[in-house]
Parts: sequence; structure tokens; C-alpha cells
Amino acid sequence: MLDILKDLIYSSGAVSLTGGNLVMWLVSFVLLYLAIKKQYEPLLLLPIAFGILIVNLPLTFLMEPEHGLVWFFYHYGIELDIIPPLIFLGLGAMIDFGPLIANPKTLLLGAGAQAGLYVTFFAAVLFGFDLQEAASIAIIGGADGPTTIFLTSKLAPHLLGATAVSAYAYMALVPIIQPPMMKLLTTEHERKIVMGKLRPVSKLQRVCFPIVTAMAIMLMVPTAAPLISMLMLGNLFKESGVVERLSKAASNELMNIVTIFLGLSVGATMTAGTFLSPKVLFIFFLGLFAFIVSTGAGLIMAKIMNLFLKNKINPLIGAAGVSAVPMAARCVHKVGSEANRRNYLLMHAMGPNVAGVIGTVVAAAILLKNLG
Amino acid sequence: METDWSKVMEVFATGIIGVFVVMILLQILTQLSTRIIDFVENFGKGEESSPEPKSPTAPSKD
Amino acid sequence: MPELLAPIAGNVWKVLIAVGDKVELDDELIILEALKMETPIYCDDGGTVSEVRVKEGDSVNEGDVLVIID
Repeated sequence: MLDILKDLIYSSGAVSLTGGNLVMWLVSFVLLYLAIKKQYEPLLLLPIAFGILIVNLPLTFLMEPEHGLVWFFYHYGIELDIIPPLIFLGLGAMIDFGPLIANPKTLLLGAGAQAGLYVTFFAAVLFGFDLQEAASIAIIGGADGPTTIFLTSKLAPHLLGATAVSAYAYMALVPIIQPPMMKLLTTEHERKIVMGKLRPVSKLQRVCFPIVTAMAIMLMVPTAAPLISMLMLGNLFKESGVVERLSKAASNELMNIVTIFLGLSVGATMTAGTFLSPKVLFIFFLGLFAFIVSTGAGLIMAKIMNLFLKNKINPLIGAAGVSAVPMAARCVHKVGSEANRRNYLLMHAMGPNVAGVIGTVVAAAILLKNLG
Repeated sequence: METDWSKVMEVFATGIIGVFVVMILLQILTQLSTRIIDFVENFGKGEESSPEPKSPTAPSKD
Repeated sequence: MPELLAPIAGNVWKVLIAVGDKVELDDELIILEALKMETPIYCDDGGTVSEVRVKEGDSVNEGDVLVIID
């Protein structure tokens, strides 16, 4: 009788628990708290946090290669690069490229913010990360979750959990991270600049944009194909207006379904063994650095453009060049209206914001081409 | 582990330049296609415009 | 007769005034909601509200007339 009881205890997970597991539980609980109570990106943080919890319960073998349930999600969804492009399909069906088409100059702002990403790459190498790892950390500055996961899973899969969580966490913190940088780099006078009405964009232009962009980017950087093709297909669904069902399916049902698998698998990569290393702390630090530098780079790019433009743009919209859609644009709008309450920058900021999505994908594709 | 600094510089430089080149080309393409579409649409309107304004604009006025 | 135009497209979240109200420069007249963010629209000119063209829940485009003030 006693032996059976003993056997039960030894075969239970509890005795195989390590201190690391307990720390990871704590991490998971903190993320659950942030997701549920503070509602920081709950759609992703919630499954991620739960994923962390379940892989840190010993002997469940959920992440056991070829056996575990979650491993299959991870393998087919992320290792084989299926989920990030599907998320992009849904994003494409939601994004309105109108403000970008109306003011194509904002594409440059989307590029400007990516310059910050390469500065971070440099910094990460200085911190002793190898080039693949540094690239995966730098892409956090692009503020684009799926792209971060796409690149990290190819270059440095062991960092996936850390880079993905910091990308999503900082995205939720945009309203806190960006304004100080915006105020530091712009003058009160610049923030007061009011931008005129955007020119109207016809339906034909909206339909042509995804087609032309998809062709152009894939011809120039073929490694961007998985993400950009899906993004533009989703947008074509939306703008064509003839396949409303597909557009809705891509942006609601499909997106929600893959988000579950994405969150769970990303969380499940964070076992105590891979996550609890000093490196991870550096990743969070560098991720924040990446965000700040990219914001700054976007602002500076906008100021440089202003030197040449007759119709001055409000340099704040440069900060929206990081892609966090639409958090960054909202943030720009808010800071702009604080300086001048009749300043409505929201739509103007959506231009660089969606350009940032394209820019981040291009930057990731170039990193992948050079380092993959 | 030795860091290959020439590779770092290469990634750094090609990255920044690459992103800008791609985005500038995209900007030019977008502007170009916008112009072409504007031209085509205006051309189309130019022929239809004489009968058009009467009926569709009337209800929107008050 | 100044018109208050919608500076951005969105949905009308709250209408804070009614016909006949006296309004002053910089009063909040209407709150629009765009991209899940509330944007107050301020009065450009003092006067009396003679017509409110929108109601709560309406969707407006950029440049639409929201309120007419005499």
C-alpha cells in the first residue's frame, strides 16, 4: 500500500520540479496578470502565458519532439513558417493603405524607422550576441510581432520566446515608450504643425496598390515573399470588394484561430532551460532600446524630409514609422493634439504606420538574405 | 567566438541602404501608378462628364 | 454661418450640444471615435448652435459637416 503511494508520488511531476520551473510559473503568472488585469495585448499574451505555464509542468512532454501536442503546433505552425504569413493575410484584410496611397512620401518614414533597427543590430553584436541572434533582437524595433517571430524562428529559434514576448509587450507599451522620445526630438513649434486634408484615393488606386507593391517587393527582395504576398493578398481581398466572405474569414476566423496556436507555441518555447539565462534579460533591454531608437530614427527622418518639402509635415508622424498598428498612430495623434488641440494627425500617422509594416518586412527579408 | 566585424558592417550597410532603396522605389511606383490612374480616370470622366453631373449629384444637394 | 467639419473619419461617439445652445471658442462640441480612440472636436468660433447634422452612432467622413453655428 505504502509502495503504491510512493510510486505515485515519484511518477508525478511534482518531484521533478526544478527551481527554474517555479520561476517560469512566476513569469507566466505575471504575464497572465498583465493580459487579464491590464489588458496588454491580451489576445497574444494570454495564450503565451498559459503556454509557458504548461511546458513548465514536468513530465507532461507537451513539447517533446514528434510526441507532444504543443510541439506539433510549434513545428507545423512556426518552424515551418505557416502561422506568421497567415496572420499577415488577416492583417492585410484589415489594413487601410489609403492614407499611404494619398501621401506616398510617408513610405520614406516607414523606411526611416527601420534605420533604428540596424543600430540595434550593431548594439546587440557589441553585447556579444552572434549575428543571427543580433538580427532577431533588432527586428523587435520594427514593432511587428509576426515578422519578429518569422525572422527569429529562422535565425535564432532558441530566442523565439524572448523576442516574441518583448515585441508584443513593448507594442502594448507604445503609449508610454514613445511620447518622451517624441517630445525630446521635436520642438513645440514642430508639434503644432497642422497637416492639410489627405487627397481622396479612388477605388482603382486601392485595388492596384497591393498588386503593384507585391510585385515590386517580391521582385526586389524575394525573401520577403511569404509575408508580403499574404499581406497584399489579404489587402486585395478587402479592397476588391468582391470577396467580402474571404476578407472577413481572413481577418476574423482564420486570424483568431492561428493566433491561438501562435501564442501557445511561442509560450511553449519558453522552458526554464532556454529562458532563464542572462541573455534573455539583455534581450528585453535591447528590445526596449530597439523601440526607442526606431522611434527616434523615424522622427529624425521626418525632420530631414522637412528640410526639402514645401508643405511641411508634422515630424511626429515619423514616430509612427514603427509598425505597431494602430498604437503608434494613436500615440502620435495624442501627442500632436496636446500641442495643438486642433491638430488631428491620426490619419496622417496611419500612412507611415502602415508603411512601417512594409518596411519591417523588407528589413527582415534583407537580414534573412544576408544571415540566413 | 570571434565576431566577424566586416560581416557586421556589411549587414549594417546593406540593410539600411537596402530598405531605403526598396521603399524609395516603392514610393516612386506608387506615385507613378497614382498618376496613371488619375489620368485614366479623368480621361474616362472627361467623356462621360457632360451627362453625368445632373442625375447623381442632385439627390445629395439639399 | 460657420460650419464645424469633421477633421477625421470615424463614428460619432457623443454629441455634447443641442440646437439653441450657446457655444464659445474651444468648447468641446462633439466627440468622434476613430480607431478605438476618442477625439474631441472643438468649436472654432463662438455663437449659437443652429443645426446639429449628426447623432450619436453615425459614421462620418473627413470633411462632413457636423454642426452649424450662427
